[in-house]
Amino acid sequence: MSSRGSLMFVLHAHLPYVNHPADSSFLEENWFFEAVAETYVPIISLLERLASEGIRPGVALSISPTLGAMLENEELEEKMACYLGSRLELIAKELERAKDDPALLKTVKLYQKLYEDAAALMHKYSGDLITPLKSLQHAGQIEIITTAATHAVLPLLTRPEAVRAQLAVAAEDYFDRFNQKPSGFWLPECAYEPRLNSSLKLSGFAYTFAESHSVEFSGQDASGGVHAPYRTSNDVGLFVRDAASSREVWSAQFGYPGDPAYREFYRDFGYDGEYEYLRPYFGSDGARRPLGLKYHRITGAGTDLAAKQYYDPDAAQARVEAHAADFLERRIKQADDFYAERGTRPLIVSCYDAELFGHWWFEGPAFLETVIRKIRADRLPLQFVTPSEYLNSCQEPREITPGSSSWGENGYFDPWVNETNDFIYHAVYAATDKMIETANRFRNQDLPGLSLRALNQAARETLLAQSSDWAFLLYIGSHAQYAKSRLEDHVANAIKLLGDVIEKKVDETALNKLEQRNSLFPRLDFRIFASVSKF
Amino acid sequence: MPELSRTLPSEDRLVLLPKNPGVLFAFWQFSASREEAFISSALGGEVELRLFHSEDKAQVSALKAAWKSGKAYLEVPAQGRSYTAALYALRSGEWEKLLESNPVSSPAAAGMAEERAYASLEFHKRVHL
Repeated sequence: MSSRGSLMFVLHAHLPYVNHPADSSFLEENWFFEAVAETYVPIISLLERLASEGIRPGVALSISPTLGAMLENEELEEKMACYLGSRLELIAKELERAKDDPALLKTVKLYQKLYEDAAALMHKYSGDLITPLKSLQHAGQIEIITTAATHAVLPLLTRPEAVRAQLAVAAEDYFDRFNQKPSGFWLPECAYEPRLNSSLKLSGFAYTFAESHSVEFSGQDASGGVHAPYRTSNDVGLFVRDAASSREVWSAQFGYPGDPAYREFYRDFGYDGEYEYLRPYFGSDGARRPLGLKYHRITGAGTDLAAKQYYDPDAAQARVEAHAADFLERRIKQADDFYAERGTRPLIVSCYDAELFGHWWFEGPAFLETVIRKIRADRLPLQFVTPSEYLNSCQEPREITPGSSSWGENGYFDPWVNETNDFIYHAVYAATDKMIETANRFRNQDLPGLSLRALNQAARETLLAQSSDWAFLLYIGSHAQYAKSRLEDHVANAIKLLGDVIEKKVDETALNKLEQRNSLFPRLDFRIFASVSKF
Repeated sequence: MPELSRTLPSEDRLVLLPKNPGVLFAFWQFSASREEAFISSALGGEVELRLFHSEDKAQVSALKAAWKSGKAYLEVPAQGRSYTAALYALRSGEWEKLLESNPVSSPAAAGMAEERAYASLEFHKRVHL
């Protein structure tokens, strides 16, 4: 059947850079391990499965440079193997404990398969999950794009040098990781402002994404609505996120993930189980923590955690089928309505954080796979396209300048600038200004190796201080102390290193430790922060 | 209110950031030499934070500000326009401009409907509350 519209899935995978090599069970490193086991492995597996069956997924996947660095970090890979081993050891005990409880046993076996699959995929690729992603892209199954170096909310960086550094470092990082230049750029938090157009162009990006309200209310001729691509005045392609399809998948309140049959995220066996039984699986501090074994379903909106009922994988899978069918039915209607109104076939751009699929919405990967399969199996009049494919085949997009916007709460920058987190900008700007000033001072000098290393590490620390995650964690009040410490550490590290270079007293031992801990962007050259860059 | 645990280098800085269509965020800090000028009364203790339209330099608001460092949320009269902030202090009875911010455009209100709202908040619920 011929296509009545195009569907573009964009999954944005990002985690803040968390690497604590001196600690074997650092709590926040679990963010990474959980996301690998519950999201990245299931998504890679489904992409490979589809590709092997001749069903081209055709999705775009944004891998943040910080996440990419963690996926290639051998120490984290080793810790990941320990994490999976620990979970499988606990699951073995759980299989015994649940043997007379068929409802529980079914879910324990589900987790056994989840973690065994994760261990198998990690083993298959020697712990490096970039390898299968690279292969999928090389085979034309998916398109991989990048985002800002440390996921800074770019409209909140007023120094152009800082924006350029975030983009240029990301482009270089992508090239090193995927052996080709990146085409697409995911704006962290979908945060756009017109000032970014020139930076995107200068860094070689061909397209990016913006929020629908930034286009709909731009006051310009957006006659394609949100279902057509646009271009900026300097020819950067612009795709617009579709609010309807996003809401159906994103919203726990109105969307599919809130279905009573789906797994409950917040009730975790790490808080339910008998303490001594679970003690070996907690960290060195002995404090209870989530263990990823969640045996209950949402049950009902507002149901108390204690009253949640057991999860039933079969019932959940039935809902996945129904939700995938509903999602596609709505997209076809959306396409038909658009065609009836405007006489052209729409492009529906659905963007999600990748970690929604699997980690937060446990059934998300199954939903994604079912959607892709159904289009083929039911010969539905929709086709998946990647951004580059679409730009290469569509008519010249109309020029537009969207307004400033983000996909955060209320649509602008409130989550990252409010009374809970605004104090951090004193520190972020102190490091950024000092970095730019020092880069300008030394950019044309031949520097001794130690000074050069210190300046490059200061650039890493500055970039890390600019990450959007610290402001957001402070805003939601979760891991707030960790976020504050990380921010202050990076700022202090950057300022000290820069001062030490100026005073010619770099402490090599301390520098070695920082290089080991914050070891991303191995080719980073501090001069990228200079006001007139050599790049 | 949360605050930094460590002291930052003493530098002159006034930065203006966008928050939403109706509000900009300003924060500032003075260098040691400026602090000395305040302490020695070379500069009067009264500081004003003024907001201007970038295009025509017309002043749109002014408020009393702290001389050492501080922050303020500034309501803007017109969305989608560019603004600049500046800090003024009295020297010998005359207002003297001490610091000027970067220009920043306030977002144009797009009437973001409630059903659009979200994205990263729900994702970040995954960090366990």
